[in-house]
Amino acid sequence: MSIPYLIAQWQLPQQGRLLYATLVVLGAFVLILGLVPLLQTLPPRGRRVLIVTITFLAGLFFAAEFFLPVDWTAIFPKDDPTRNFLTPAIQPAQNVLQIIGALALGLGTFGLVRLHMRNVVQKRAQWGYSVVLLVAFVTMAIFSILNTLSEKGVVTKTPLLERGFSILFDYTLVQLDAAMFSLIAFYIFSAAYRAFRIRSVEASILMFTAVVVLIGVVPLGAYISYTLLGLPQGPPPENADWWTQFLHSAGLPSIANWILTALNAPAQRAIEFGVGIGGLAMAIRLWLSLERGVT
Amino acid sequence: MQSPTIWQRMLSIDRRLLYLLLFVNIIVFLIAPIRMPASISPPVQKFYDEIEKLKPGDLVMISSNWSASTLAENQPQLEAVLIHLMRKKARFTFISIEAQSRDISYRLAERLTKTHGYEYGKDWAHFGFVPNLIVAIKGMVNDLPATIKEDVRGTPISQLEVVKGVKSLKDYKMIIDVTPSGTVPIWISYSPKGIPILYCPTSVMAAEAYTYLDSGQITGMITGAKGAQEYEQLLKIEGLGARFANAISFSHVLIIVFILLGNFAMFMNRAQARREA
Repeated sequence: MSIPYLIAQWQLPQQGRLLYATLVVLGAFVLILGLVPLLQTLPPRGRRVLIVTITFLAGLFFAAEFFLPVDWTAIFPKDDPTRNFLTPAIQPAQNVLQIIGALALGLGTFGLVRLHMRNVVQKRAQWGYSVVLLVAFVTMAIFSILNTLSEKGVVTKTPLLERGFSILFDYTLVQLDAAMFSLIAFYIFSAAYRAFRIRSVEASILMFTAVVVLIGVVPLGAYISYTLLGLPQGPPPENADWWTQFLHSAGLPSIANWILTALNAPAQRAIEFGVGIGGLAMAIRLWLSLERGVT
Repeated sequence: MQSPTIWQRMLSIDRRLLYLLLFVNIIVFLIAPIRMPASISPPVQKFYDEIEKLKPGDLVMISSNWSASTLAENQPQLEAVLIHLMRKKARFTFISIEAQSRDISYRLAERLTKTHGYEYGKDWAHFGFVPNLIVAIKGMVNDLPATIKEDVRGTPISQLEVVKGVKSLKDYKMIIDVTPSGTVPIWISYSPKGIPILYCPTSVMAAEAYTYLDSGQITGMITGAKGAQEYEQLLKIEGLGARFANAISFSHVLIIVFILLGNFAMFMNRAQARREA
Protein backbone atom coordinates (compact mmCIF):
# COMPACT_ATOMS: atom_id res chain seq x y z
CA MET A 1 0.00 0.00 0.00
CA SER A 2 1.57 3.28 -1.10
CA ILE A 3 1.98 6.44 0.99
CA PRO A 4 -0.26 8.55 -1.33
CA TYR A 5 -2.97 5.92 -0.89
CA LEU A 6 -2.68 6.13 2.89
CA ILE A 7 -2.83 9.94 2.73
CA ALA A 8 -5.95 9.74 0.54
CA GLN A 9 -7.61 7.33 2.93
CA TRP A 10 -6.80 9.34 6.06
CA GLN A 11 -9.95 10.56 7.81
CA LEU A 12 -10.53 12.49 11.00
CA PRO A 13 -11.93 10.31 13.81
CA GLN A 14 -15.71 10.49 14.05
CA GLN A 15 -15.75 11.42 17.74
CA GLY A 16 -14.88 15.09 18.30
CA ARG A 17 -14.52 15.62 14.55
CA LEU A 18 -15.32 19.34 14.75
CA LEU A 19 -12.71 19.87 17.44
CA TYR A 20 -10.08 17.99 15.46
CA ALA A 21 -10.95 19.89 12.28
CA THR A 22 -10.70 23.24 14.11
CA LEU A 23 -7.36 22.24 15.60
CA VAL A 24 -6.06 21.14 12.20
CA VAL A 25 -7.15 24.43 10.57
CA LEU A 26 -5.68 26.52 13.40
CA GLY A 27 -2.49 24.46 13.34
CA ALA A 28 -2.14 24.96 9.58
CA PHE A 29 -2.79 28.68 10.01
CA VAL A 30 -0.14 29.01 12.73
CA LEU A 31 2.26 26.95 10.63
CA ILE A 32 1.78 29.19 7.60
CA LEU A 33 2.10 32.34 9.73
CA GLY A 34 5.25 30.92 11.21
CA LEU A 35 6.64 29.85 7.84
CA VAL A 36 6.50 33.36 6.36
CA PRO A 37 8.96 34.96 8.86
CA LEU A 38 11.06 31.79 8.70
CA LEU A 39 11.32 32.13 4.93
CA GLN A 40 12.20 35.80 5.34
CA THR A 41 15.19 34.89 7.49
CA LEU A 42 16.58 32.62 4.81
CA PRO A 43 19.21 34.12 2.50
CA PRO A 44 17.89 34.75 -1.07
CA ARG A 45 19.91 31.82 -2.39
CA GLY A 46 18.42 29.42 0.16
CA ARG A 47 14.92 30.74 -0.53
CA ARG A 48 15.44 30.16 -4.24
CA VAL A 49 16.62 26.60 -3.70
CA LEU A 50 13.56 25.88 -1.57
CA ILE A 51 11.10 27.35 -4.08
CA VAL A 52 12.79 25.65 -7.04
CA THR A 53 12.70 22.28 -5.24
CA ILE A 54 9.01 22.57 -4.28
CA THR A 55 8.06 23.71 -7.81
CA PHE A 56 10.01 20.84 -9.37
CA LEU A 57 8.52 18.21 -7.06
CA ALA A 58 4.95 19.51 -7.54
CA GLY A 59 5.39 19.51 -11.32
CA LEU A 60 7.00 16.08 -11.26
CA PHE A 61 4.06 14.65 -9.32
CA PHE A 62 1.43 15.76 -11.85
CA ALA A 63 3.60 14.81 -14.85
CA ALA A 64 4.45 11.40 -13.41
CA GLU A 65 0.84 10.69 -12.48
CA PHE A 66 -0.28 11.52 -16.03
CA PHE A 67 2.50 9.80 -17.98
CA LEU A 68 3.12 6.65 -15.96
CA PRO A 69 1.48 3.61 -17.57
CA VAL A 70 -2.03 3.18 -16.24
CA ASP A 71 -2.10 -0.58 -16.05
CA TRP A 72 -0.05 -1.57 -12.98
CA THR A 73 -1.57 -5.00 -12.53
CA ALA A 74 1.71 -6.62 -13.66
CA ILE A 75 3.55 -4.96 -10.77
CA PHE A 76 0.74 -4.72 -8.22
CA PRO A 77 -1.60 -7.60 -9.14
CA LYS A 78 -4.22 -6.68 -6.55
CA ASP A 79 -4.34 -3.01 -7.46
CA ASP A 80 -7.06 -1.36 -9.55
CA PRO A 81 -5.84 -1.60 -13.19
CA THR A 82 -7.21 1.86 -14.04
CA ARG A 83 -4.86 3.77 -11.74
CA ASN A 84 -1.16 3.96 -11.01
CA PHE A 85 0.38 4.28 -7.54
CA LEU A 86 0.26 8.11 -7.62
CA THR A 87 -3.41 8.38 -8.65
CA PRO A 88 -4.88 8.16 -5.11
CA ALA A 89 -2.91 11.29 -4.18
CA ILE A 90 -4.65 13.35 -6.87
CA GLN A 91 -7.57 14.06 -4.56
CA PRO A 92 -5.44 15.41 -1.69
CA ALA A 93 -3.55 17.44 -4.31
CA GLN A 94 -6.85 18.99 -5.38
CA ASN A 95 -7.58 19.89 -1.77
CA VAL A 96 -4.15 21.53 -1.50
CA LEU A 97 -4.82 23.52 -4.67
CA GLN A 98 -8.19 24.62 -3.30
CA ILE A 99 -6.54 25.78 -0.08
CA ILE A 100 -3.88 27.71 -2.02
CA GLY A 101 -6.66 29.28 -4.13
CA ALA A 102 -8.60 30.25 -1.01
CA LEU A 103 -5.46 31.76 0.52
CA ALA A 104 -4.84 33.78 -2.65
CA LEU A 105 -8.46 34.96 -2.62
CA GLY A 106 -8.17 35.98 1.02
CA LEU A 107 -4.92 37.78 0.32
CA GLY A 108 -6.48 39.64 -2.62
CA THR A 109 -9.52 40.62 -0.57
CA PHE A 110 -7.32 41.86 2.25
CA GLY A 111 -5.24 43.94 -0.17
CA LEU A 112 -8.32 45.44 -1.84
CA VAL A 113 -10.01 46.37 1.45
CA ARG A 114 -6.77 47.81 2.89
CA LEU A 115 -6.19 49.98 -0.20
CA HIS A 116 -9.70 51.42 -0.20
CA MET A 117 -9.84 51.84 3.57
CA ARG A 118 -6.67 53.88 3.31
CA ASN A 119 -8.26 55.97 0.52
CA VAL A 120 -11.25 56.74 2.74
CA VAL A 121 -9.30 57.41 5.95
CA GLN A 122 -6.80 59.70 4.23
CA LYS A 123 -9.55 61.25 2.06
CA ARG A 124 -7.49 60.76 -1.10
CA ALA A 125 -8.73 61.87 -4.54
CA GLN A 126 -12.09 60.27 -5.44
CA TRP A 127 -12.34 58.59 -2.04
CA GLY A 128 -16.15 58.49 -2.50
CA TYR A 129 -15.73 55.64 -4.99
CA SER A 130 -13.83 53.71 -2.33
CA VAL A 131 -16.77 54.15 0.06
CA VAL A 132 -19.11 52.79 -2.63
CA LEU A 133 -16.80 49.81 -3.18
CA LEU A 134 -16.51 49.01 0.53
CA VAL A 135 -20.26 49.31 1.14
CA ALA A 136 -21.05 47.19 -1.94
CA PHE A 137 -18.40 44.64 -0.96
CA VAL A 138 -19.66 44.21 2.60
CA THR A 139 -23.35 44.13 1.61
CA MET A 140 -22.83 41.60 -1.19
CA ALA A 141 -20.58 39.44 0.99
CA ILE A 142 -23.12 39.34 3.85
CA PHE A 143 -26.06 38.44 1.61
CA SER A 144 -24.05 35.97 -0.46
CA ILE A 145 -22.62 34.12 2.56
CA LEU A 146 -26.04 34.01 4.25
CA ASN A 147 -27.65 32.76 1.04
CA THR A 148 -25.08 29.97 0.69
CA LEU A 149 -25.57 29.01 4.33
CA SER A 150 -29.36 28.99 3.87
CA GLU A 151 -28.97 26.67 0.84
CA LYS A 152 -27.05 24.30 3.09
CA GLY A 153 -29.74 24.62 5.78
CA VAL A 154 -27.41 26.25 8.32
CA VAL A 155 -29.50 29.45 8.58
CA THR A 156 -33.18 30.04 7.81
CA LYS A 157 -34.04 31.48 4.41
CA THR A 158 -36.08 34.55 5.40
CA PRO A 159 -38.02 36.57 2.78
CA LEU A 160 -35.65 39.50 3.43
CA LEU A 161 -32.61 37.33 2.68
CA GLU A 162 -34.21 35.82 -0.43
CA ARG A 163 -35.38 39.17 -1.79
CA GLY A 164 -32.18 40.96 -0.81
CA PHE A 165 -29.93 38.39 -2.50
CA SER A 166 -32.16 38.37 -5.59
CA ILE A 167 -31.97 42.19 -5.89
CA LEU A 168 -28.21 42.23 -5.38
CA PHE A 169 -27.32 39.22 -7.51
CA ASP A 170 -30.00 38.80 -10.20
CA TYR A 171 -31.02 42.40 -10.67
CA THR A 172 -27.74 44.22 -10.00
CA LEU A 173 -24.56 42.16 -10.39
CA VAL A 174 -25.75 40.00 -13.29
CA GLN A 175 -27.20 42.98 -15.18
CA LEU A 176 -24.16 45.19 -14.65
CA ASP A 177 -21.82 42.41 -15.71
CA ALA A 178 -23.85 41.72 -18.85
CA ALA A 179 -24.04 45.45 -19.67
CA MET A 180 -20.27 45.86 -19.30
CA PHE A 181 -19.54 42.97 -21.66
CA SER A 182 -22.13 44.06 -24.23
CA LEU A 183 -20.30 47.38 -24.66
CA ILE A 184 -17.81 45.44 -26.78
CA ALA A 185 -20.45 45.23 -29.55
CA PHE A 186 -20.42 49.02 -29.85
CA TYR A 187 -16.64 49.14 -30.13
CA ILE A 188 -16.71 46.35 -32.72
CA PHE A 189 -19.23 48.30 -34.81
CA SER A 190 -17.15 51.48 -34.67
CA ALA A 191 -13.90 49.61 -35.34
CA ALA A 192 -15.41 47.63 -38.26
CA TYR A 193 -16.62 50.86 -39.87
CA ARG A 194 -13.16 52.43 -39.65
CA ALA A 195 -10.93 49.40 -40.28
CA PHE A 196 -12.60 47.34 -43.03
CA ARG A 197 -11.37 49.37 -45.99
CA ILE A 198 -10.48 47.99 -49.42
CA ARG A 199 -6.90 49.27 -49.57
CA SER A 200 -5.21 46.14 -50.96
CA VAL A 201 -6.04 42.74 -52.47
CA GLU A 202 -5.57 41.05 -49.06
CA ALA A 203 -7.86 43.57 -47.36
CA SER A 204 -10.49 43.01 -50.08
CA ILE A 205 -10.38 39.21 -49.57
CA LEU A 206 -10.64 39.69 -45.81
CA MET A 207 -13.58 42.04 -46.13
CA PHE A 208 -15.43 39.88 -48.63
CA THR A 209 -14.97 36.78 -46.46
CA ALA A 210 -16.08 38.66 -43.34
CA VAL A 211 -19.22 39.93 -45.06
CA VAL A 212 -20.16 36.46 -46.34
CA VAL A 213 -19.68 34.88 -42.88
CA LEU A 214 -21.44 37.77 -41.11
CA ILE A 215 -24.55 37.27 -43.22
CA GLY A 216 -24.24 33.52 -43.76
CA VAL A 217 -24.21 32.53 -40.09
CA VAL A 218 -27.34 34.45 -39.09
CA PRO A 219 -30.94 33.60 -40.06
CA LEU A 220 -30.99 36.50 -42.51
CA GLY A 221 -28.49 34.63 -44.69
CA ALA A 222 -30.85 31.67 -44.90
CA TYR A 223 -33.78 33.99 -45.62
CA ILE A 224 -31.95 35.74 -48.49
CA SER A 225 -30.65 32.47 -49.98
CA TYR A 226 -33.61 30.12 -49.63
CA THR A 227 -36.66 32.42 -49.45
CA LEU A 228 -35.74 35.47 -51.53
CA LEU A 229 -33.44 33.81 -54.09
CA GLY A 230 -35.23 30.45 -53.96
CA LEU A 231 -32.04 28.37 -53.80
CA PRO A 232 -32.50 24.70 -52.85
CA GLN A 233 -31.72 23.87 -49.20
CA GLY A 234 -29.85 20.84 -47.86
CA PRO A 235 -27.54 18.36 -49.59
CA PRO A 236 -28.08 17.69 -53.32
CA PRO A 237 -29.79 14.45 -54.36
CA GLU A 238 -27.64 11.55 -55.46
CA ASN A 239 -26.49 11.60 -59.12
CA ALA A 240 -27.43 15.27 -59.41
CA ASP A 241 -25.84 17.21 -62.29
CA TRP A 242 -23.16 19.81 -61.58
CA TRP A 243 -25.63 22.72 -61.83
CA THR A 244 -27.96 21.22 -59.18
CA GLN A 245 -24.96 20.51 -56.98
CA PHE A 246 -23.80 24.09 -57.44
CA LEU A 247 -27.23 25.50 -56.55
CA HIS A 248 -27.38 23.38 -53.39
CA SER A 249 -24.06 24.74 -52.19
CA ALA A 250 -24.54 28.35 -53.34
CA GLY A 251 -26.62 29.47 -50.36
CA LEU A 252 -24.94 31.91 -47.99
CA PRO A 253 -25.17 29.50 -44.99
CA SER A 254 -23.45 26.76 -47.02
CA ILE A 255 -20.68 29.11 -48.13
CA ALA A 256 -20.22 30.42 -44.56
CA ASN A 257 -20.08 26.84 -43.26
CA TRP A 258 -17.51 25.93 -45.93
CA ILE A 259 -15.36 28.92 -44.95
CA LEU A 260 -15.55 27.90 -41.28
CA THR A 261 -14.81 24.22 -41.81
CA ALA A 262 -12.53 24.16 -44.87
CA LEU A 263 -10.59 27.40 -44.43
CA ASN A 264 -10.87 28.34 -40.77
CA ALA A 265 -10.41 24.90 -39.20
CA PRO A 266 -7.01 24.06 -40.79
CA ALA A 267 -5.70 27.54 -39.95
CA GLN A 268 -6.92 27.14 -36.35
CA ARG A 269 -5.31 23.73 -36.15
CA ALA A 270 -1.97 25.16 -37.24
CA ILE A 271 -2.28 27.95 -34.66
CA GLU A 272 -3.21 25.45 -31.93
CA PHE A 273 -0.18 23.28 -32.75
CA GLY A 274 2.01 26.35 -32.42
CA VAL A 275 0.34 27.42 -29.19
CA GLY A 276 0.61 23.88 -27.83
CA ILE A 277 4.34 23.62 -28.51
CA GLY A 278 4.85 27.11 -27.09
CA GLY A 279 2.84 26.16 -24.00
CA LEU A 280 4.90 23.01 -23.54
CA ALA A 281 8.14 24.99 -23.76
CA MET A 282 6.81 27.56 -21.29
CA ALA A 283 5.61 24.83 -18.90
CA ILE A 284 9.05 23.19 -18.92
CA ARG A 285 10.71 26.55 -18.27
CA LEU A 286 8.35 27.22 -15.34
CA TRP A 287 8.74 23.70 -13.99
CA LEU A 288 12.52 23.93 -14.02
CA SER A 289 12.37 27.52 -12.68
CA LEU A 290 14.21 28.80 -15.74
CA GLU A 291 11.67 31.58 -16.26
CA ARG A 292 12.89 34.93 -15.00
CA GLY A 293 11.05 36.31 -11.99
CA VAL A 294 9.79 32.93 -10.76
CA THR A 295 11.80 33.16 -7.59
CA MET B 1 -11.00 77.38 -45.17
CA GLN B 2 -12.94 74.90 -47.33
CA SER B 3 -15.78 73.11 -45.55
CA PRO B 4 -15.44 69.28 -45.50
CA THR B 5 -17.27 67.39 -48.24
CA ILE B 6 -20.02 64.89 -47.47
CA TRP B 7 -17.53 62.02 -48.08
CA GLN B 8 -15.01 63.48 -45.65
CA ARG B 9 -17.74 63.94 -43.09
CA MET B 10 -18.81 60.34 -43.59
CA LEU B 11 -15.25 59.13 -43.08
CA SER B 12 -14.92 61.02 -39.80
CA ILE B 13 -18.39 60.22 -38.54
CA ASP B 14 -18.95 60.73 -34.80
CA ARG B 15 -18.68 57.33 -33.12
CA ARG B 16 -21.52 58.26 -30.75
CA LEU B 17 -23.84 58.34 -33.75
CA LEU B 18 -22.75 54.79 -34.63
CA TYR B 19 -23.35 53.67 -31.05
CA LEU B 20 -26.83 55.21 -31.08
CA LEU B 21 -27.70 53.54 -34.38
CA LEU B 22 -26.60 50.13 -33.10
CA PHE B 23 -28.46 50.64 -29.83
CA VAL B 24 -31.73 51.55 -31.61
CA ASN B 25 -31.24 48.64 -34.04
CA ILE B 26 -30.81 46.12 -31.21
CA ILE B 27 -33.78 47.42 -29.22
CA VAL B 28 -36.11 47.51 -32.25
CA PHE B 29 -35.29 43.98 -33.41
CA LEU B 30 -35.42 42.55 -29.89
CA ILE B 31 -38.97 43.85 -29.55
CA ALA B 32 -40.18 43.54 -33.17
CA PRO B 33 -42.21 40.37 -33.76
CA ILE B 34 -40.14 39.44 -36.84
CA ARG B 35 -39.04 35.83 -36.84
CA MET B 36 -36.84 34.40 -39.55
CA PRO B 37 -36.39 30.64 -39.67
CA ALA B 38 -32.76 29.64 -39.35
CA SER B 39 -31.00 27.11 -41.49
CA ILE B 40 -29.88 24.29 -39.18
CA SER B 41 -26.11 24.07 -39.28
CA PRO B 42 -24.51 20.58 -39.22
CA PRO B 43 -22.88 20.97 -35.75
CA VAL B 44 -26.26 21.88 -34.19
CA GLN B 45 -28.00 18.98 -35.93
CA LYS B 46 -25.31 16.60 -34.61
CA PHE B 47 -25.78 18.01 -31.10
CA TYR B 48 -29.52 17.40 -31.32
CA ASP B 49 -29.11 13.89 -32.74
CA GLU B 50 -26.67 12.94 -29.96
CA ILE B 51 -29.11 13.97 -27.22
CA GLU B 52 -31.90 12.15 -29.08
CA LYS B 53 -29.90 8.94 -28.56
CA LEU B 54 -30.21 9.24 -24.75
CA LYS B 55 -32.49 6.83 -22.95
CA PRO B 56 -34.68 7.78 -19.95
CA GLY B 57 -32.57 7.82 -16.80
CA ASP B 58 -29.22 8.32 -18.58
CA LEU B 59 -26.87 10.56 -16.62
CA VAL B 60 -25.38 13.70 -18.18
CA MET B 61 -22.67 15.97 -16.76
CA ILE B 62 -23.18 19.66 -17.56
CA SER B 63 -20.13 21.83 -17.12
CA SER B 64 -21.55 25.34 -16.83
CA ASN B 65 -18.76 27.87 -16.75
CA TRP B 66 -20.34 31.10 -17.89
CA SER B 67 -21.00 34.25 -15.98
CA ALA B 68 -23.38 37.16 -16.59
CA SER B 69 -21.04 38.73 -19.14
CA THR B 70 -21.89 36.06 -21.73
CA LEU B 71 -25.45 35.51 -20.55
CA ALA B 72 -26.92 36.63 -23.90
CA GLU B 73 -25.31 33.65 -25.62
CA ASN B 74 -24.92 30.96 -22.97
CA GLN B 75 -28.31 31.27 -21.26
CA PRO B 76 -30.41 30.48 -24.38
CA GLN B 77 -28.08 27.55 -25.12
CA LEU B 78 -28.36 26.09 -21.63
CA GLU B 79 -32.12 26.60 -21.49
CA ALA B 80 -32.68 24.83 -24.81
CA VAL B 81 -30.36 21.96 -23.89
CA LEU B 82 -32.00 21.49 -20.48
CA ILE B 83 -35.45 21.40 -22.06
CA HIS B 84 -34.26 18.73 -24.48
CA LEU B 85 -32.66 16.67 -21.70
CA MET B 86 -35.86 16.86 -19.66
CA ARG B 87 -37.93 15.84 -22.64
CA LYS B 88 -35.70 12.79 -22.97
CA LYS B 89 -36.15 12.15 -19.21
CA ALA B 90 -32.39 12.19 -18.75
CA ARG B 91 -30.86 12.94 -15.34
CA PHE B 92 -28.16 15.57 -15.07
CA THR B 93 -25.63 17.08 -12.71
CA PHE B 94 -23.90 20.44 -12.94
CA ILE B 95 -20.37 21.51 -12.15
CA SER B 96 -18.87 25.02 -12.46
CA ILE B 97 -15.35 26.36 -12.53
CA GLU B 98 -16.74 29.90 -12.63
CA ALA B 99 -17.78 31.11 -9.18
CA GLN B 100 -20.61 33.26 -10.56
CA SER B 101 -21.85 30.45 -12.77
CA ARG B 102 -22.42 28.28 -9.74
CA ASP B 103 -25.29 30.58 -8.72
CA ILE B 104 -26.49 31.49 -12.21
CA SER B 105 -26.73 27.92 -13.49
CA TYR B 106 -28.19 26.65 -10.22
CA ARG B 107 -30.94 29.28 -10.18
CA LEU B 108 -31.65 28.82 -13.89
CA ALA B 109 -31.90 25.04 -13.55
CA GLU B 110 -34.04 25.37 -10.42
CA ARG B 111 -36.51 27.58 -12.32
CA LEU B 112 -36.64 25.37 -15.44
CA THR B 113 -36.77 22.01 -13.67
CA LYS B 114 -39.73 23.10 -11.55
CA THR B 115 -41.82 23.70 -14.67
CA HIS B 116 -40.90 20.26 -16.02
CA GLY B 117 -41.61 18.32 -12.84
CA TYR B 118 -37.98 17.49 -12.12
CA GLU B 119 -37.04 16.96 -8.49
CA TYR B 120 -33.74 18.16 -7.04
CA GLY B 121 -31.58 15.34 -5.75
CA LYS B 122 -33.61 12.71 -7.58
CA ASP B 123 -33.47 13.90 -11.19
CA TRP B 124 -30.76 16.53 -11.06
CA ALA B 125 -28.15 18.05 -8.76
CA HIS B 126 -25.56 20.80 -8.72
CA PHE B 127 -22.05 19.95 -7.51
CA GLY B 128 -21.15 23.62 -7.14
CA PHE B 129 -17.90 25.43 -7.80
CA VAL B 130 -14.55 23.72 -8.31
CA PRO B 131 -11.48 25.93 -8.63
CA ASN B 132 -9.41 23.70 -10.91
CA LEU B 133 -11.14 21.81 -13.71
CA ILE B 134 -8.19 19.56 -14.59
CA VAL B 135 -7.81 18.27 -11.05
CA ALA B 136 -11.60 18.00 -10.66
CA ILE B 137 -11.99 15.92 -13.83
CA LYS B 138 -9.07 13.66 -12.91
CA GLY B 139 -10.56 13.24 -9.46
CA MET B 140 -14.03 12.47 -10.83
CA VAL B 141 -12.61 9.93 -13.28
CA ASN B 142 -10.99 8.07 -10.38
CA ASP B 143 -13.52 8.54 -7.62
CA LEU B 144 -16.46 10.90 -8.08
CA PRO B 145 -17.93 10.76 -4.54
CA ALA B 146 -14.52 11.43 -2.98
CA THR B 147 -13.93 14.37 -5.31
CA ILE B 148 -17.30 16.09 -4.99
CA LYS B 149 -18.21 15.07 -1.44
CA GLU B 150 -21.36 17.26 -1.26
CA ASP B 151 -23.66 19.30 -3.48
CA VAL B 152 -24.48 23.04 -3.34
CA ARG B 153 -27.09 22.37 -0.66
CA GLY B 154 -24.55 20.66 1.55
CA THR B 155 -26.10 17.23 1.02
CA PRO B 156 -23.50 14.45 1.06
CA ILE B 157 -23.22 12.96 -2.40
CA SER B 158 -23.99 9.49 -1.04
CA GLN B 159 -27.49 10.72 -0.18
CA LEU B 160 -28.25 12.06 -3.67
CA GLU B 161 -30.45 9.63 -5.57
CA VAL B 162 -29.45 11.09 -8.92
CA VAL B 163 -25.89 9.76 -8.52
CA LYS B 164 -26.76 6.61 -6.63
CA GLY B 165 -24.33 3.89 -7.64
CA VAL B 166 -22.17 6.32 -9.59
CA LYS B 167 -18.52 5.66 -8.86
CA SER B 168 -16.81 7.77 -11.46
CA LEU B 169 -17.29 9.97 -14.48
CA LYS B 170 -17.20 6.79 -16.56
CA ASP B 171 -20.77 6.11 -15.43
CA TYR B 172 -22.00 9.20 -17.28
CA LYS B 173 -23.43 8.95 -20.80
CA MET B 174 -22.56 12.44 -21.98
CA ILE B 175 -20.66 15.62 -21.12
CA ILE B 176 -22.00 19.03 -22.12
CA ASP B 177 -19.74 22.05 -21.77
CA VAL B 178 -21.50 25.44 -21.76
CA THR B 179 -18.72 27.96 -21.65
CA PRO B 180 -17.22 31.18 -22.98
CA SER B 181 -13.70 30.06 -22.12
CA GLY B 182 -11.33 27.36 -23.36
CA THR B 183 -12.47 24.53 -21.11
CA VAL B 184 -13.41 22.04 -23.81
CA PRO B 185 -9.80 20.95 -24.56
CA ILE B 186 -9.54 20.06 -20.85
CA TRP B 187 -12.64 17.87 -21.05
CA ILE B 188 -11.28 16.27 -24.24
CA SER B 189 -7.91 15.59 -22.61
CA TYR B 190 -8.99 14.26 -19.24
CA SER B 191 -12.52 12.85 -19.49
CA PRO B 192 -12.98 9.10 -19.98
CA LYS B 193 -12.71 7.93 -23.56
CA GLY B 194 -15.90 7.02 -25.35
CA ILE B 195 -18.17 9.52 -23.61
CA PRO B 196 -19.47 12.03 -26.20
CA ILE B 197 -18.63 15.65 -25.48
CA LEU B 198 -21.06 18.33 -26.65
CA TYR B 199 -20.00 21.96 -26.72
CA CYS B 200 -21.89 25.25 -26.29
CA PRO B 201 -19.40 28.07 -26.84
CA THR B 202 -19.96 31.76 -27.42
CA SER B 203 -19.77 32.76 -31.10
CA VAL B 204 -16.29 34.18 -30.69
CA MET B 205 -14.97 30.87 -29.31
CA ALA B 206 -16.64 28.66 -31.90
CA ALA B 207 -14.06 29.21 -34.65
CA GLU B 208 -11.42 27.42 -32.57
CA ALA B 209 -13.66 24.40 -31.99
CA TYR B 210 -14.09 23.37 -35.64
CA THR B 211 -10.82 21.41 -35.39
CA TYR B 212 -12.30 19.28 -32.58
CA LEU B 213 -15.52 18.81 -34.53
CA ASP B 214 -13.51 17.71 -37.54
CA SER B 215 -11.59 15.16 -35.49
CA GLY B 216 -14.73 13.86 -33.78
CA GLN B 217 -13.49 14.83 -30.31
CA ILE B 218 -16.58 17.01 -30.02
CA THR B 219 -19.77 15.38 -31.22
CA GLY B 220 -21.87 18.51 -31.67
CA MET B 221 -21.78 22.24 -31.12
CA ILE B 222 -24.29 25.03 -30.49
CA THR B 223 -22.70 28.32 -31.52
CA GLY B 224 -23.83 31.29 -29.44
CA ALA B 225 -27.35 32.70 -29.50
CA LYS B 226 -27.69 31.90 -33.18
CA GLY B 227 -27.02 28.21 -32.48
CA ALA B 228 -29.52 28.37 -29.64
CA GLN B 229 -32.13 29.67 -32.07
CA GLU B 230 -31.46 26.73 -34.40
CA TYR B 231 -31.78 24.36 -31.45
CA GLU B 232 -35.04 25.97 -30.36
CA GLN B 233 -36.27 25.50 -33.91
CA LEU B 234 -35.42 21.80 -33.74
CA LEU B 235 -37.23 21.55 -30.40
CA LYS B 236 -40.14 23.55 -31.83
CA ILE B 237 -40.07 26.08 -28.99
CA GLU B 238 -39.53 29.81 -28.95
CA GLY B 239 -37.04 30.88 -26.34
CA LEU B 240 -34.48 33.58 -25.83
CA GLY B 241 -32.32 32.34 -28.72
CA ALA B 242 -34.84 33.35 -31.41
CA ARG B 243 -35.17 36.89 -30.05
CA PHE B 244 -31.46 37.37 -29.51
CA ALA B 245 -30.57 35.90 -32.92
CA ASN B 246 -33.01 38.32 -34.52
CA ALA B 247 -31.25 41.31 -32.97
CA ILE B 248 -27.85 39.84 -33.91
CA SER B 249 -29.00 39.26 -37.53
CA PHE B 250 -29.96 42.87 -38.05
CA SER B 251 -26.90 44.14 -36.18
CA HIS B 252 -24.79 42.19 -38.67
CA VAL B 253 -26.73 43.85 -41.51
CA LEU B 254 -26.11 47.28 -39.98
CA ILE B 255 -22.39 46.56 -39.66
CA ILE B 256 -22.21 45.38 -43.29
CA VAL B 257 -24.13 48.42 -44.54
CA PHE B 258 -21.74 50.73 -42.72
CA ILE B 259 -18.66 48.85 -43.93
CA LEU B 260 -19.92 49.31 -47.51
CA LEU B 261 -20.79 52.95 -46.86
CA GLY B 262 -17.33 53.57 -45.40
CA ASN B 263 -15.67 52.07 -48.45
CA PHE B 264 -17.93 53.97 -50.82
CA ALA B 265 -17.11 57.23 -49.01
CA MET B 266 -13.40 56.42 -49.20
CA PHE B 267 -13.53 55.84 -52.98
CA MET B 268 -15.64 58.96 -53.60
CA ASN B 269 -13.28 61.03 -51.46
CA ARG B 270 -10.27 59.73 -53.40
CA ALA B 271 -11.99 60.43 -56.74
CA GLN B 272 -12.86 63.95 -55.68
CA ALA B 273 -9.31 64.61 -54.49
CA ARG B 274 -7.98 63.36 -57.83
CA ARG B 275 -10.38 65.59 -59.75
CA GLU B 276 -9.41 68.62 -57.70
CA ALA B 277 -5.72 67.85 -58.17
